[in-house]
Amino acid sequence: MDFALDADQEAFRAELCAFLDAELGDEVRERHRDLREWDGWAAGFAEEFRRRLGARGYISAPWPTEYGGGGRDIVDRVIFAEEMEYHGAPAFDRSVTYIPDALLEFGSEAQKRELLPRIGRGECTFFLGYSEPDAGSDLASLQTRAEERGDSFVITGQKAYSSGADRADYGWVAARTDPDAPKHRGISLFLVEMTSPGIEIAGHATTAGWEHHSVAFDAVEVPRSALVGELNEGWRVIMGAIDTERASLGAPGLVLAQLDRLVAHCRETPDEGAATPGGATLLDDPAVADRLARLAIEVDAAQLVSYWVASLVAHGERGQHESSLALLYKRETARALDVAALELLGPAGALLPDAPGAPLGGAVEREYLDHLYFHFAAGGFDITRNVIATRGLGLPRS
Amino acid sequence: MDLVASEEQRLLRDSALAFARDRMGAARAREIEDRAAAGLPAHDAELAAEIAALGWLGAALPVAHGGGGVGLLELALLIEACGTAPCPTTLFGSVVEAGLLLADAGSEQQRARWLPRIAAGEAVLAVALLEEGARLGAHEVQARATPLAGGGYRLDGRKTLVRDASAADALVIAARAGDPEGGEADAGDEGAGVTLLLVERGAAGLAIEPQPASGGEPLFAVALDGVEVGANAIVGEQGAGWPTLERMLARGAALKAAELVGIGQAALDLTLAYARERTQFGRPIGSFQAVQHHCANIYRELVACRLLAYRAAWALDGAGGDPAEPGPRRAVAAAKAKASEAIPWATRVAHQVHGGVGYYRDYPLEQHTRRAIAAAAAYGDARYHRRRLAQTL
Repeated sequence: MDFALDADQEAFRAELCAFLDAELGDEVRERHRDLREWDGWAAGFAEEFRRRLGARGYISAPWPTEYGGGGRDIVDRVIFAEEMEYHGAPAFDRSVTYIPDALLEFGSEAQKRELLPRIGRGECTFFLGYSEPDAGSDLASLQTRAEERGDSFVITGQKAYSSGADRADYGWVAARTDPDAPKHRGISLFLVEMTSPGIEIAGHATTAGWEHHSVAFDAVEVPRSALVGELNEGWRVIMGAIDTERASLGAPGLVLAQLDRLVAHCRETPDEGAATPGGATLLDDPAVADRLARLAIEVDAAQLVSYWVASLVAHGERGQHESSLALLYKRETARALDVAALELLGPAGALLPDAPGAPLGGAVEREYLDHLYFHFAAGGFDITRNVIATRGLGLPRS
Repeated sequence: MDLVASEEQRLLRDSALAFARDRMGAARAREIEDRAAAGLPAHDAELAAEIAALGWLGAALPVAHGGGGVGLLELALLIEACGTAPCPTTLFGSVVEAGLLLADAGSEQQRARWLPRIAAGEAVLAVALLEEGARLGAHEVQARATPLAGGGYRLDGRKTLVRDASAADALVIAARAGDPEGGEADAGDEGAGVTLLLVERGAAGLAIEPQPASGGEPLFAVALDGVEVGANAIVGEQGAGWPTLERMLARGAALKAAELVGIGQAALDLTLAYARERTQFGRPIGSFQAVQHHCANIYRELVACRLLAYRAAWALDGAGGDPAEPGPRRAVAAAKAKASEAIPWATRVAHQVHGGVGYYRDYPLEQHTRRAIAAAAAYGDARYHRRRLAQTL
């Protein structure tokens, strides 16, 4: 065991941080801020930044060299995810954390040769067409159909919670190809060009104020070459790349940023409380210090769990329930930080991002609401506990 | 960066787990506890000899003095493994406290006299630090070491919660040396004056009395009434003992966190086995989502505690391992603060899953529950360590 990054990893981190600091200065953040977008960045700038990430080789860094990748290992992938989140960078989405790995594992040679170079350059994005209005935690019950017609498939159905669908070039769509098979067996995976006739995108305002999307497919025809992996083997594709993605999603950049921001706020903010009169800051209140210490411990733990999962993968293990745990730990810690921050902001904490006098730019109120998606996305807290209990701890399903 | 145990580390842990399972189980622990409750000598010399034969008592001591020279991380793996079984060992009193303290600050003569005997299981040592109120801190050391005219010191004071004292062949006593009227009154240095002195078993004026504690933790009150020791009893320099004790407390906290992880693992293992086997309402109770979530929650906390404990031990190893530095200080505080709350909590959740069966002494869960109480309290509780951590923010 070694808890320190080696020289190469430190250099990778330093170079990445220098890039992010240079690209995402305060003035840039102010100019391209758009709270109607999921990551708070104007779509135009986000896609421009994606191409800059691509030009620097960051998107393809973890891919094998034969596909133009940098051949970097899982620890570097976690470092990348951690710093992207810590800096609140745009374009850190499933077109970076999920699709390339799924393509590498399950895509045809033609699909890889066509799509990976474009993804690597930051020129191509995807939406993930898994969830449906009636298929959430029980994803395998999805009802979107793909009917085989000669040398093509015709897709009809409704996808929900379709992040990034409004600007995606492709849908990565799970559809039922054998309605008579058991529910996990009759699913196939398709790459659907979003310019295909019959696709309709609808917008839905989230509680945090940004626009999320759903996608309706009405007899959308795709060629056989759009099939990813084998026919009716889509469940394997769905599950296959999720572990690698969780290793990225579990990286602790968000909680490190939340903690640093909250500690700085408490260090700088005068405490008017009667218990600590005269120049004391929030951090001087032992109750506040104790609470921050608790949160700091959880952030340290989240970081360690994340790097532990990366280490397991580096040693050739799948790390399936462990990567679920990393994501659970990180996101529950983020929720604890959201709650603590909102409570420590005092009366002005309720002010919205653009309201005059909003502390920390109103970011805390927005994040508190935005992070409600942690409770259900990529498994959600309760489903993740089921996964840990059954796959990790060997408890019976029934 | 690699948070997976190496092959060697895994072998060490697995052999220790197997020994703990086979030789340190519930029945033997109860015998020891019953002897202590009856006021009989409770130290299990046979167990100590077995552990010594495996090389564990000497594992972390210097090679030059019969030890194995392994790091604190390896010692943490050993202690974690031993923590899965309820038998008390002298790993804390003899090794984590006194042995490593002598290796750190003892004279060549003291090391040569005691360390090989600790490693061989032939001697038990203990450190007497705490006093009335059991508060950690240099100011709390009020026992007096009065210099004698012909060299040496006279010791007077009352010590509390001294681990393994009744079995100890020698005790390291923390006392305040110098002129009681002033001398060490440098207000800027709260550690000034704290001096460490070795007192051997049977010294005139030394009295040891049990302080029965949860989980059979072997704790004792030690009274010193005019105990006289020679000049060669001093460990390190006069008045310079506090930094040595700080390093000992940091080791103790990091390694107690590792022991708590072992306790938590034992509670989880029992709980999972029970949840798989116990049938109610026509199903194994482990198939109920509420029970599954209890188990997943224990596992969640256990993984966090384990990684924090390993990091703390790792941070104290090697050149940068001074616990006064922010990195090791935060690592140790985080590990002990987290484990001191999470592991007792985990035992309570384990009881929830077990229901009535866990309430009785003929089922082994409650031994771990009681040991968690004692371990959480040792070397600084959760609040103490959160306060230390907050100072690094």
